Order: sequence, then C-alpha cells, then structure tokens
Amino acid sequence: MSASGPARQIVVVGGGVAAFSAISELRSRGFDGAITLLSPEGLPYDRPTLSKGYLLGTEDATKIRLAPEAWYAERSIELVPERAVALRPAEGAVELDGGRRLPADRVLLATGGVPRCLGVPGGEAAHTLRDLADSDALRRALAPGARVAVVGAGLIGAEVASAAVVLGAEATLIDPVDPPLVPAVGEALARRLHAMHAERGIRTIVGAPVGIEAHDGAAPGSAYSVRFADGSTVAADAVVAGIGILPDTALAEAAGLEAEGGVIVDDTGATSNPAVFAAGDTCRRRAGDGTLARRSEHWEAAVHSGQVAAAGMLGAEPPQFGAPWLWSDRHGVHVEAVGTLDERHAPGARTVLRMVDGVPQAAFLLAADGHLLGCSAVDLPLVVRAARRIIDRGIVPDPDALADPSADPRKLTR
Amino acid sequence: MSEGIDVGSPDEIEEGTARVIEPEESGFDEPIAVFHTETGCFFALDDTCTHEEASLAEGWIEGDAVECPLHSSSFDLRTGRVLCLPATQSARTHKVEVTGGRVVLYPGVDAEDAARVSEQAAE
Ligand SMILES: Cc1cc2nc3c(=O)[nH]c(=O)nc-3n(C[C@H](O)[C@H](O)[C@H](O)COP(=O)(O)OP(=O)(O)OC[C@H]3O[C@@H](n4cnc5c(N)ncnc54)[C@H](O)[C@@H]3O)c2cc1C
Ligand code: FES
Repeated sequence: MSASGPARQIVVVGGGVAAFSAISELRSRGFDGAITLLSPEGLPYDRPTLSKGYLLGTEDATKIRLAPEAWYAERSIELVPERAVALRPAEGAVELDGGRRLPADRVLLATGGVPRCLGVPGGEAAHTLRDLADSDALRRALAPGARVAVVGAGLIGAEVASAAVVLGAEATLIDPVDPPLVPAVGEALARRLHAMHAERGIRTIVGAPVGIEAHDGAAPGSAYSVRFADGSTVAADAVVAGIGILPDTALAEAAGLEAEGGVIVDDTGATSNPAVFAAGDTCRRRAGDGTLARRSEHWEAAVHSGQVAAAGMLGAEPPQFGAPWLWSDRHGVHVEAVGTLDERHAPGARTVLRMVDGVPQAAFLLAADGHLLGCSAVDLPLVVRAARRIIDRGIVPDPDALADPSADPRKLTR
Repeated sequence: MSEGIDVGSPDEIEEGTARVIEPEESGFDEPIAVFHTETGCFFALDDTCTHEEASLAEGWIEGDAVECPLHSSSFDLRTGRVLCLPATQSARTHKVEVTGGRVVLYPGVDAEDAARVSEQAAE
C-alpha cells in the first residue's frame, strides 16, 4: 500500500457505524473508485438499540440495519461478510480468513472494540453486550422472574438494568462508584439518574465483585453467586458486565501501526502508515500539539471520525465538528450530554442547574469566562440542541436564562 | 388526495416552531408536521422521524432543516431529504400553501421544491 497517488481501491475493515459513515461520505464526496466493505456480521446495523429497543423486543434485526441491501448495490459498494486477519501494507493488500487477499491502496480500520471482561475469578461467566448475538443471548437471560446481576452502572449497564425490569426480571446493579456517570453528565444529574434505579425496584450496590461462583445445575435464582470483598454475595441467574470496551487494535499492531489505548490517528484520520486510516471506537486522535485525546466510545464521534477518515483517504481537508454529544435511554427517560460536564478538566468553572420542583432537569458547566463548556439534560432535547449551538458558536449565555425552566430554549442562542 | 385542508392562519404557528396535524384532522394515515421557519416559510413532513419514534415537530428548526429531538438526524424541510445519520431514509413531504391568509395543507401531495410558498409570495 502506498499513499502516493489518489485512492482508487479502498478496503474498509468493519461493519459498524464508523465504517458505514465513511463509505457514505466517500460516495457523497464523489469518489468513484472501488470500495469493499468487510463486515463479518453481514449488513451493517446500529448498536445503541441493542441495549434499548432491540433488547426489549420492540425493534427487530431488519429495522436496526443502517441501510437496506440495495443501498450498497446502488453505490457500487462490495459487501464481503468476512473478517480481515492481516493488513499487508507493503503488498497493498488486506488478507482475509482463508488466505484470500484483497488489493487496496487505502485501508480504513473501523474495527470497534471488544467488551472488557470482568477480571475476577469466574468473571468469564458474565454476559457482555456488543453485537446482535450478545443482545439475543441477554434477552433470553432476562426472563420474567429471573435474577440478574449487572456489574457496571454507567451507560450500557444502566440501560440493561432498565430493560431487565421492563422484561419482568429482577435486577441488581453493582458499581464501585456512587453515583456513576459524573464525568459524563455532572454530579446532579448523575445522582438523579442513579436514584431512578431504586425507584424502579432495582437494588443498587456500591462495590466491586471479587469473584463469580457458578453453581452447576442449581435451582433458578442461585445459578451464580457474585461475591464481594466483605464476604457478602448476590445470587443471580445471570450476570452481565457493562464495564466498557477495549479497542480492537490487533490488526493495527500486527501491521506495525502505532497504537496506545487505541490506534493512533492524526487530524485526517491517518495512522502512522499514511495509506492506513482508522475511525470509530478503535481510534485515538493525536492533536497537532502532540497530546493524545481520550478515546471516545460514543456513537456520534464514531460517525464523525468516519467522515474525517473518508476525507483523509481522498486527500481532502477534514470536516470540522463541534462539541461531542451522547445520549442514553433508561427508565423511559432520554438523557443527553453535549460538550463536557467534567469539572476536573475545567478549573474555575461552575455548574448552573435548571431545577423543577427540586429535581435537576439540566446542568450547564460554565467556564470562568462565562463560556458554556457542556450541558446535560433529561428529556429536554431543545435545551441540549440550544446548548450545542451556544458552545459551537462561542456565545456567552445568560446563566439566569439557562437556569430558568420557563425560558424558551430557542431564544437561548440569541 | 388533492383536497387542501385549512390548518389555521400563518401566525398561529410561531416562527421556528411546528404544529402537528393528526390523522383525525387530515384524513391522512400519518400525523403531519407543518413547520413555520424563521424566514417565514411553511413546509410539511410526516411528523414521525424515519429512524425511531420521535415527533419532528418537537425538533430544532433552523434554516430549512429540522433536527430530530431524539438522535439528531436532520431533514431538509423542502425535500424531506435526510441530511445525517442515524436515520437513512428521507421523510415524506406534503404540499403547503399560504392562500387568502390561511395555511393550507395538501396531505399526501408531494411538495415539489416549486410548491414552497413563502408568506411574501402568497400576498
Ligand atoms: C449496546 C450498546 C449501546 C450503545 N448505546 C449508545 C448510546 O445510547 N449513545 C451513544 O452515543 N453511543 C452508544 N453506544 C456506542 C456506539 O454504538 C459505538 O460508539 C459505535 O457503535 C462505534 O462504532 P464503530 O463502527 O467504531 O464500532 P462497532 O460498531 O463496534 O463496529 C466494529 C465492526 O468491526 C467489525 N470487525 C472487528 N474486527 C474485524 C476484523 N478483523 N475484520 C472485519 N471486521 C471486523 C465488527 O464485526 C463490527 O462490525 C452503544 C454501544 C453499544 C454496544
Ligand atoms: S428517532 Fe429521529 S433520529 Fe432517531
């Protein structure tokens, strides 16, 4: 593979949203060379619903596809449902399981991540949730009356516990941090959201398991014991771990690409090999000044990095995006956050809350100079959309209006 | 279906907002959102986002686009074209006209670009 000369043959490794976003962007930018998409699970689908509607059974596998089969044919994108086993940059090829080699002058690695396993004795018994098959298996475990212990009460863990209750299972949610999610949504909303679990009959435990014991052939309700350091145990039919992911950097590292907690990419999405790009949960951006950004594990960042890599492969200027955004759905509420709510990285910043009847609805982190750094909110989509524009446009907002539940969000950006 | 229905006077839908016309009122099988943009134009789309269940009328209306309140896909109000993920399917448009000081919606009639009627043009 050599980055000299324009791209004519692009192989995209991965069938997630980063890969999908990159191929859409390549075609909408007018790239008319060959695109091959290696997607071992077949037609690319969207993952967020795997812990929400799909897990609950309100959406099916067809509905969650990112695009129907015809979409790929219309854009002359060859979909190969196989796994890449090696990148051969020197030979300009990607090697598939079975030895077949696909020629490529640019490669995009969008291999996502693998769920982190519970690193305790017996931890391998825990369900993890990343793909359709995981969600199917989990749904079978969340049967009415089943006892489920969910380890990790961040985004996915909280959603799984919420779905468990809807499906009639009995959930225990375990996390060493109380409340979880403070860096993502700020302290006030983190507390409110965490308290919702107990209100819905979920038992919450502050702690970290030290082991999972399996009781073979035991009666329902005691198939596993989740053990804690103080000797206490939680009995469960199923254990779920929602404790984050590890970026899938194996292919990159074997090909000699620089990786450090993610495949390192520059502002154009290029890895340390200028013909190989990376996007999505697997990549980690190094800024112009050499600092390594935290790897994102959120949907929109994956979409944007796919678009950046597409531009990069075509030698075009990278598109610019504003403040990062994420959402989560649990217990019937829609949580969103934009920018950062993490006070640790913002000395002198202060938080302004929008309260209704003593309950925080939205939190805003304001920098010492009055600029908005981030906003999180529950069921206030227009407030979040206003906040996003305030941040991106560098508007200095009126803190009183932010805090005022009767203020029209549309007017906040003026 | 080509019969227009009167959905009110232009100032009943504040600029930058939208009103949902339910099937009972329109006789159409889906709720329709009638948008009034900040530049005074009226457009109509199927109200339900093509991604999941969200009302586009509750979205962020800016320029000639609406951003879904759930996962932020944007739709071009003139053409219904989906502008960004997660939705990949465009939204159905409906013709809207401002005539005789009334906003008239034609449920089921595809709004060609030309059917865009600004208040100004209607006067
Ligand atoms: C259950 C769940 C719920 C989520 N909910 C939210 C949410 O509510 N909000 C939010 O912002 N984010 C959410 N996320 C995060 C979001 O879905 C991810 O950030 C996004 O999917 C990352 O996309 P990606 O393309 O980088 O990786 P992935 O979607 O993981 O795709 C990676 C792809 O690479 C393929 N692959 C791996 N190795 C190879 C190989 N060797 N050869 C070929 N293909 C390979 C995999 O099969 C997979 O198709 C959620 C994630 C999960 C799992
Ligand atoms: S429901 Fe509109 S983008 Fe998801």
